[in-house]
Amino acid sequence: MSDLISILQENLPKIQDENQKASLQNAIQLGVPSMKNEEWKYTYYNKILQQGFKPVLVADQHVNMFKMMGSLTVEKEFIDEYSVSENRIVFVNGVFHSELSSFINHPQINLWNTNNVSENITSDFLLELNNAFASDGIFLEIGDHVVVNDLIEIFYIHTKSSDIIQLKNKIIVGKNSQVKLAEYYINYDEAPAYLNIVTEMQVAENAHTELYKIQDGGKVFNITDNTFVKQDKSSVCTVNTISLTGGITRNILQFDVNGERAETHMNGLYLLENEEHVDNRTLVNHNVANCESNELYKGILGGKSTGVFNGKIVVKQAAQKTNAFQSNRNLLLSNDANIYTKPQLEIFADDVKCSHGATSSQIEDSELFYLQARGIGKEVARGLLVYAFAAEVVENIKNELLRNKLQERIAELLKIEL
Amino acid sequence: MLQIKNLHASISSDSGAKEILKGLSLEVNAGEVHAIMGPNGTGKSTLAAVLTGKEGYDITEGTVEFEGKNLMDLSPEERAQQGLFLAFQYPVEIPGVSNANFLKAAVNEIRKSKGMDNIPPNEFLKLMREKMELVEMSKDFISRFVNHGYSGGEKKRNEIFQMAMLDPKLAILDETDSGLDIDALRIVANGVNKLRTKENAFVVITHYQRLLDYIIPDFVHVMYDGKIVKSGDKDLALELEEKGYDWIKELSNVEI
Repeated sequence: MSDLISILQENLPKIQDENQKASLQNAIQLGVPSMKNEEWKYTYYNKILQQGFKPVLVADQHVNMFKMMGSLTVEKEFIDEYSVSENRIVFVNGVFHSELSSFINHPQINLWNTNNVSENITSDFLLELNNAFASDGIFLEIGDHVVVNDLIEIFYIHTKSSDIIQLKNKIIVGKNSQVKLAEYYINYDEAPAYLNIVTEMQVAENAHTELYKIQDGGKVFNITDNTFVKQDKSSVCTVNTISLTGGITRNILQFDVNGERAETHMNGLYLLENEEHVDNRTLVNHNVANCESNELYKGILGGKSTGVFNGKIVVKQAAQKTNAFQSNRNLLLSNDANIYTKPQLEIFADDVKCSHGATSSQIEDSELFYLQARGIGKEVARGLLVYAFAAEVVENIKNELLRNKLQERIAELLKIEL
Repeated sequence: MLQIKNLHASISSDSGAKEILKGLSLEVNAGEVHAIMGPNGTGKSTLAAVLTGKEGYDITEGTVEFEGKNLMDLSPEERAQQGLFLAFQYPVEIPGVSNANFLKAAVNEIRKSKGMDNIPPNEFLKLMREKMELVEMSKDFISRFVNHGYSGGEKKRNEIFQMAMLDPKLAILDETDSGLDIDALRIVANGVNKLRTKENAFVVITHYQRLLDYIIPDFVHVMYDGKIVKSGDKDLALELEEKGYDWIKELSNVEI
């Protein structure tokens, strides 16, 4: 039996809440994900656990009081580096931090920080673990007919914690409303950190939502991100998952499209080097007719990095006239980098348009030579070409301020000046 | 400026090495425009590729000096930094990189090689605007991606624009006239003529005499089977147009 399971068992008697208890029991029963599980074939979960992370109940949490009350210079720096808005929700090591946060006052926008205990029992270890241990999270409810122009930013900042930090968010977007959210995943220390986060989002009729996940936590930051979206009719939802730096990252992104004429967009970019690992698993359930989904994930893999892409599209029998497009393109910069890509289409309706494609390529010599012939050294030339490869995904980011920030950051990572 | 002596170069392929340049000699001095003409497959583009340092060619014999330096010792970017420029026959599309960013990188890399600081942004924009006028580019060109989705004419104009931005000592124009309509040809030629000075030089590689009505060369060389078989002044181009390349083939046979 693994160490983690025995820790879970020790915690079982301490839990009062029935739902949390049930989740924990379920997690113990399910066991730690192993590579024998098809879903975990290329991601070795134990590699995160081996770094010594342990789940901690809210009651037992050792909140770093110095961090909560003392100097916040470093946190502020990181926030300033990315922030493009005045709507800001900040969590430090899994705990909401009011001093760093600021938020608009609007009669139709409700925001709490809470751990949102769920009553649903799932068959996913990480979801159950999260339900049993989640320390905090946002509950954001946006009423009907509300347009929020400024980006709502959520910062998950981590520093020197051997806890498995667990957050649980719930976002409800009302009819005809429009909202844009950006999540920033940050760990600013040399010490490893691990965040297991669950976000549920409901997008009501004719609502428009954009969600940006900016994962730039440094080489020793591990993330298991689990995002579930339910869309009602005529809604538009875009999720951009941008993984720039990290340790082991696994992004689960699932959509249930339950209303007709809804649009779903998924954009992904992963920029990997050294031994970085990103596993993106997306699922779109087209449950009703006349909907559209678009998916573009691009990866750049250098060093000994590993990328995993699993894109599943399910078109139910009722979902006639579905248009579903998926593309995963990879640029391999080294012989030791690996990409495992798997498109999965399950189509039960007969009148649909679905396409998928996956490619992996290398930098073209002819392109490299063209840049060199203009006096650009090989390193910068490669950087520019990689930047060009990534640009398509970045261009899809509608928020201009955020797009500019990302362009700057990507250029910095590629050591080019723009 | 450029001295090529008895240059032999071969290309390696699956079926072994194949010699393309078979003893080519050429001297280009500052202030001169040289035209190199000749039928397809005689090694004109190989010459351009070898001079700019494209991979895949082996120099088996001969020397190339540029401003007194052995050109073959230099990487492609070092050659460009020294003032050598190639206007590509098939310019490469780079979706995702704007013309401004591409050229800023080029200008700054060249400045860096000379120990200079980056060009100030205002100065760079001013330079871009000034040179865009030269090749009649519209304003949106600055932010458009490099060659992405351009017409053939636009791509060639962009090559001349880049040349204007980088202000090389020696520019090699590889079939810049191919695929151009008469208006684009005029714009391209105008650009070149305005950039001609006593200090710089041009090597214009072309299949047709047409371009040389606009860019008047000081010397015309005819290439056949990997070397220059005949040199003369601009009248040679006209003679060639009149008599056709078969005349050169015969000429070449006689010499052998």
